[in-house]
Amino acid sequence: MKVLPSRSSEVATPGPARQPATAMIEIDHVSQVFQTSARKDHLALSDISLTIEDGAFVSILGPSGCGKSTLLYIVGGFVSPTSGSAKVKGKTITAPGPDRGPVFQEFALFPWKTVLGNVMYGPRQQGVRATEAEAQSRALIEMVGLKGYENFFPKELSGGMKQRVALARTLAYHPEVLLMDEPFGALDAHTRTRLQNDLLNIWERDRKTVLFVTHSVDEAVFLSDKVVMMSRSPGRIRQVIDIDLPRPRRRTELLLDPRYQKYVVDIERMFDDIDEAGVNP
Amino acid sequence: MTSSAAIGRRVAPLLACIGLLAAWQVAALALKNDSFPTALEAMRAVPAILGDKEALINILASLRRMAIGFAAAVAVSIPLGLLMGRSRTVAAFFNPLLMVIYPVPKAALMPIIMLWLGVGDIAKTLVIFLGVSLPVIYHSFEGAKAVEEKMLWSGAAMGLSAAQCLVRIVLPAALPEILTGCRTGLVLALITMITSEMIARQSGAGNILFNALDMGQYDTVFAMIIIVGAMGIGLDAAFEKVRARLVRWSEPQFDMPLSFS
Repeated sequence: MKVLPSRSSEVATPGPARQPATAMIEIDHVSQVFQTSARKDHLALSDISLTIEDGAFVSILGPSGCGKSTLLYIVGGFVSPTSGSAKVKGKTITAPGPDRGPVFQEFALFPWKTVLGNVMYGPRQQGVRATEAEAQSRALIEMVGLKGYENFFPKELSGGMKQRVALARTLAYHPEVLLMDEPFGALDAHTRTRLQNDLLNIWERDRKTVLFVTHSVDEAVFLSDKVVMMSRSPGRIRQVIDIDLPRPRRRTELLLDPRYQKYVVDIERMFDDIDEAGVNP
Repeated sequence: MTSSAAIGRRVAPLLACIGLLAAWQVAALALKNDSFPTALEAMRAVPAILGDKEALINILASLRRMAIGFAAAVAVSIPLGLLMGRSRTVAAFFNPLLMVIYPVPKAALMPIIMLWLGVGDIAKTLVIFLGVSLPVIYHSFEGAKAVEEKMLWSGAAMGLSAAQCLVRIVLPAALPEILTGCRTGLVLALITMITSEMIARQSGAGNILFNALDMGQYDTVFAMIIIVGAMGIGLDAAFEKVRARLVRWSEPQFDMPLSFS
């Protein structure tokens, strides 16, 4: 087996070093080892370096088991890296914080709270007055298309609606970075498409920095400014692809756009390569 | 619309009770045994007991011990169970202790407790406390363990500290499971209450029952069983009402979730 030089860091940062003022997230030589059993260690992430600029929509794309979610959890402060460091706005990440808002595939809503109670939770925790938090939350609930469902419990909602609530709940405390962990992975194709469109519309209003983990090639290309391709076992950055497609993006137009098609096909080819190369865990 | 099925569901439990009493009546009449009074005789003795001031004081004293033992057990067991569910170290410390205590009938500890604390309220309340604690700890533990990690992460991202997460996320998320434990605990409180009074015969509902047995007043014995049973059913039903209200959010109100994306 050929040993690849661990040069992923250089490929991964094609420029942002020029303008360090705009770097929102800097991941610096991060590796993550998990102990799977008493004797065996599993190298989930190997020497990952990546800089994400302020306001960029960046997707991390890779096969399952490539450690892409782990990378997101490290940025969230939910998992500490075995070695290396991650920074947000120049500060080393040691714990979760309201500057980085997660949205999980499992929704992770508070089931004992209504839709309104869930969305208000963050602002209330941040010390926003109840009346103000409620007004803001109602506006957000309307923005994600759930007006009229304020007093419903999560149990009473479909998967797509739950994920809308989860997005509103995270947006409510104004994080600077959205960390989305396969947020639409548990939804059916139709719901998924609708949520992708709505997410883009919402994102285009205030252009928060988004780190979006997915295993869907078209989702990554459709949404992102930049796609970070990862390979598996150990998880490394294989390539970073800039997606140079105009915004605002319309799905129906993009599907006919040869540039979009080329991105999807190129990335899918790379995926195939990874699959062939990756059978050596 | 009240369908006949709905009426049937309401009437069925009543029929079951009447059926049981009728079977008792017939069996007692057939056996003609002194120690087995008929249902009617036993029922007639109920108002006699409830009308007796002495008996009422005894029953109320029992209920008071039970309430204190139950409340103290719940107050200690829920935080302990939650901590065990969220911290492996805490769980590793307490688990072996609980494993030792678990299979021991709490009433079997009564002689030792009596030796140390006497036969008064403290000893009996302590036994009730022990009886209630284990199911509440166990269910709180299981409930806390099952709390989705990502729910806690979501809270941490909002700025909740570890302690706040425990009180404001783990506790409500585990509440359905905790209340299941409390319901079991409530019935166990009643059982340990009676058994403690059987052993330390001084006052209480259990004492009335066993004194009557000693004196061969079998109708009183059976009447006390009816009273204690009714108390159990009443307490359980009341608790179930409270429980259902508190965890309304965890039970489906609609047959199907609403569906649109």
